[in-house]
Amino acid sequence: MKISPDRIRTQILVLVSMAASLYCQSLFAAAPVVEIEIKDHLFFPSEVVIPADTKVKLLIRNLDPTPEEFESYELNREKVIGGNSKTVIFIGPLPPGEYPFFGEFYPKTAQGKVVVE
Amino acid sequence: MLLNSVILVFQETLEAALLISVLLAISYRQWSRTAWLPVSLSVGFVLSLWYALTMGAVSEWFDYMGQEVVNAVLQILIMLLIVFCTWAFFKSRQVEDGGDPSQHDRFARIFTFSAAVAVALAITREGSEIFLYLSGFFQQSEYFQPVIIGSSLGFGIGVSIGVLLFYGLLNLPGGWRVKVPMYLLALFAGNMLSQAALQLTQADWISSAQALWDSSGWLPENSIFGQLLYALVGYEATPSGVQVIAYVIGVTLVIGSAIVATRIAKNV
Repeated sequence: MKISPDRIRTQILVLVSMAASLYCQSLFAAAPVVEIEIKDHLFFPSEVVIPADTKVKLLIRNLDPTPEEFESYELNREKVIGGNSKTVIFIGPLPPGEYPFFGEFYPKTAQGKVVVE
Repeated sequence: MLLNSVILVFQETLEAALLISVLLAISYRQWSRTAWLPVSLSVGFVLSLWYALTMGAVSEWFDYMGQEVVNAVLQILIMLLIVFCTWAFFKSRQVEDGGDPSQHDRFARIFTFSAAVAVALAITREGSEIFLYLSGFFQQSEYFQPVIIGSSLGFGIGVSIGVLLFYGLLNLPGGWRVKVPMYLLALFAGNMLSQAALQLTQADWISSAQALWDSSGWLPENSIFGQLLYALVGYEATPSGVQVIAYVIGVTLVIGSAIVATRIAKNV
């Protein structure tokens, strides 16, 4: 059987686009980004909803001039965020449920939770 | 503000205080040496200030994972230094039985050097967090006084527990004098390696898996007893499998180094 060059080209194109879409999917699956801001020692939003069994990238911006520490016993996470700076924290994959977090430096006001659905 | 600063500084102080008391109890008992501690405390103090000041830059390393990576490296180093300390302690105990005194001295040097570095690194990690916390209040004069009082109280309570443990270890009855410090060091090393694994999971360098168990209903991590157990043995209510494996490796390395030091010395 003779395979035409056109057919090979189509097949290569299909393969490349499949690989590209798989790659994009894996990138997307690896890290949907959720943004949280800290302002006046409060989290905005104070409640974020993320999908179950998925790794999520939390992008946290501290708009206060003072440092804060993101902490959660339920998520097993702890990280200092300097004043007027941002940071990244990966969470999950997690089973459905509620996972409270707080700012260890200002725990009275800086309270929030991750809701996994 | 006051109560929060008591708790925060207490938590940070306790872990370093426990490590210091165990290492100091061994070096005092075995070789009557304590001079390493003030040197180590001073170096740790300076390093923690420096780490706090450079935290902003460090945080941005490795796509904002610098903090996790540096902490994990510090924790792994502390774990390894504890293994050296244990090895030197048991070697020295072996040469005591008819060995030559220069050997005794050599192991004392290895122990005190490793202990001094381990303590300085532990203080660097914990102390930088205290400095960062306090730095936020320099700009808010109305909170400054309660925060300083609270932090001093928290520091005082942490140090007191360390002092109690130190004297407790010195007054142990004969059979327990060696075993108890060794097991405490083993648990501490396990804790360090498990925390390092957690840091690398947080940085996404180790892939995350679901918790191996959930004991938060029995003993919540944020309870007083949970906090104490966290500092002492690295208690986690929801640890991952990697953390548990890391913990077991840390414990095994310390106990293994004690066994190896004892065995080889006997054969020679």
